[in-house]
Amino acid sequence: MIELAEAKPKVGQKYVDAMRAQFGGKILEESWQAAEQVTLMVELNSLPDVVEFVYYRLGGWLSTVVGSDERPINGHFAIYYVLSVEGDETETEKAYVVIRALIPPHQPEFPAVASRVPAAVWYEREVRDMFGIQPVGMVDKRRLVLPDDWPPELHPLRKDAMDYRFRPTPTREEENYEFIQVEGEGVVEVPLGPLHMTSDEPGHFRLYMDGEHIVDADYRLFYVHRGMEKLAESRMTYDQITFLTDRICGICGYAHSVAYSTSIERALGIEVPARAQYIRTILLEVERLHSHLLNLGLACHFVGFDTGFMQFFRVREKTMKMAELLTGARKTYGMNLIGGIRKDILKEERTQVLQWIAELRGEVTRLVDILLNTPNIVQRTAGIGRLEPNVARDYSPVGPNLRGSGFHRDIRVIHPYCAYDRVPWTTISKTGCDVLSRTLIRAEEFFVSLDMVAQCLETIPEGPILTEGFAYKPYSFALGYVEAPRGEDIHWSMLGDNQKIYRWKCRASSYNNWPALRYMLRGNTFSDAPLIVASIDPCYSCTERVTVVDIRKKSVKTVAYKELERYCVERKDSPLK
Amino acid sequence: MPFKLLREVLKVGEATVPYPFVAVDLTPGFRGRPQHDPAQCIACGACAVACPPNALTMTTNLDEGIITWQIFYGRCIYCGRCEEVCPTRAISLSHDFELAVMNKADLYEQADYRLAACTRCGVLFAPAKELTYVLALLEQSGVTGDELAERGALLAMCPTCRRKNDIVKLVALNQEAV
Repeated sequence: MIELAEAKPKVGQKYVDAMRAQFGGKILEESWQAAEQVTLMVELNSLPDVVEFVYYRLGGWLSTVVGSDERPINGHFAIYYVLSVEGDETETEKAYVVIRALIPPHQPEFPAVASRVPAAVWYEREVRDMFGIQPVGMVDKRRLVLPDDWPPELHPLRKDAMDYRFRPTPTREEENYEFIQVEGEGVVEVPLGPLHMTSDEPGHFRLYMDGEHIVDADYRLFYVHRGMEKLAESRMTYDQITFLTDRICGICGYAHSVAYSTSIERALGIEVPARAQYIRTILLEVERLHSHLLNLGLACHFVGFDTGFMQFFRVREKTMKMAELLTGARKTYGMNLIGGIRKDILKEERTQVLQWIAELRGEVTRLVDILLNTPNIVQRTAGIGRLEPNVARDYSPVGPNLRGSGFHRDIRVIHPYCAYDRVPWTTISKTGCDVLSRTLIRAEEFFVSLDMVAQCLETIPEGPILTEGFAYKPYSFALGYVEAPRGEDIHWSMLGDNQKIYRWKCRASSYNNWPALRYMLRGNTFSDAPLIVASIDPCYSCTERVTVVDIRKKSVKTVAYKELERYCVERKDSPLK
Repeated sequence: MPFKLLREVLKVGEATVPYPFVAVDLTPGFRGRPQHDPAQCIACGACAVACPPNALTMTTNLDEGIITWQIFYGRCIYCGRCEEVCPTRAISLSHDFELAVMNKADLYEQADYRLAACTRCGVLFAPAKELTYVLALLEQSGVTGDELAERGALLAMCPTCRRKNDIVKLVALNQEAV
């Protein structure tokens, strides 16, 4: 008798059952992309009910929302709400549930989910910009991704909209983005920007001040939207995109590359060899090492401890060298192929890395000890920039930002990928909800990562590092996810035909962290603003100039960023006076 | 605390390296600027197909009968896919990473290859070096004598003429069979 290969048991079936019990006939279709990934098609009008039910009743967190122009395939637009369903704290069964709805092209609108699940606000604004599909009932009518001077009828990700190289003529001269209006006795509006959230990510912040205290904040980002999704869908083949995903971020590029590769591997059912899984894990953790050291260095800088900043960056160089040795580039770039990895780890490289790990453990222990014993650090960071657990629950932030608010949530544990379920390690979370908690988490995670790299190097199995000879299946799709240093990076990819990708949606971790920042800034002082922004680690923050608007006097005052930074460090001679 | 810090600082000493006055240490597998060996290259274009950022391109000029291999270092991401796919090891990644130039044109490198004309219809259809390489490969793999000559003659034809040739042969074979 021939034994049939047993299919992997489905993880998350009970969530599907619960949804069926609640919504019955409104769930039209069910398809499984992987053992722990299910896509359910629902009636368009039941979308808010279903997403709200999964989010708040089944313990769902909003990972991403994907808009897609599927008119050439099935005559409709489609929208996918990707939720990581995790139940309550005792629950062990965790799955990705994707809720899909089709939108008729003659009436491109859908009921907005954002009024029920605040985490969806940015995503629905983005879908409106990119596809021209209206979220009905969305309070925020402003653009998110497209610039103010973009033609209103042009929606770049529609398949029939434009060539990826097309640059439309600007429709207006000036920015007309409407920042929120906060009025009250003594409220002063402080525009902060252009603010480089990373060296390549400028943004425009506006702080509403009552004296030295922040009443509210609003921000406009996406000034450097690069149109990568359009580029990938138009010009590149699916196996070239791993090299594009590297370039999404200057810090967590490799995490994106792994997230993309795994999404395609899942869609095509490719089994990646164990050795490649281990190497990916090692490189992902090396990336975390240098990312966390960078943030710790900046934490020093923003509390006025510049010697510490220099020391952390000196030590960080060793982790960069580690990346260079293991991958051939100082950033862990260009290593992934669909099906595995390009370069093996040699014996002498392993020995060298293990030696560096031993050195780093001593050096960073001493530096962290020095940092935490600086009287300034606790005084400046404890109780500052609070991310309240209820705000966190509503907005689905990710990474150390979320773990600092008491949530024990790490994608490496919840949805293990690569070799994370094969080596022992622990997740770190804190309950302080403040800048200090987030900094401490990064410091502790650094040592966990060090141990993990060493563990992986010692237990790495022999064998091939690349699976070849798989078949390309048109229009298959799946999710890929990675816990990057700053939180979950998630990619949703649908293959096209002719070696192309039909739709690729990538969501970087900071995207989920931005919307909650407004609540973290409220109630803090002006001088703590750079510190709070830096604590969500949006790559790094460097404000170029600050404009102060006094509503009562109708006067405008511009303060150089250096001045704000100096004020953050010294806290003397307020530039607001 | 200040003593701990001071001790650490003194122990480390000078950490800054006097780059660019001394070369930086690079690991053996470092991926730098790709270097092209025009003599080894057969202009097959495999690198241009693989290149993710389109830094490598092949341009055909039928008027002059040449195909041009070109790299634009301004686009290159040093991924090394070109090195990986090259059948003749004509491209290898060097340790050179300093790309600053005064003139953008200095970031381009080109090599021209002659296109071969079809022996039947005279259409330019493939780089001559690529055909020579394929013929040499056939010889290496043990094809000799008449068979080699016959395959060589086929190789010198453009795909359209080859197809026509096949049809004529097939018809002849069919008639024989009948």
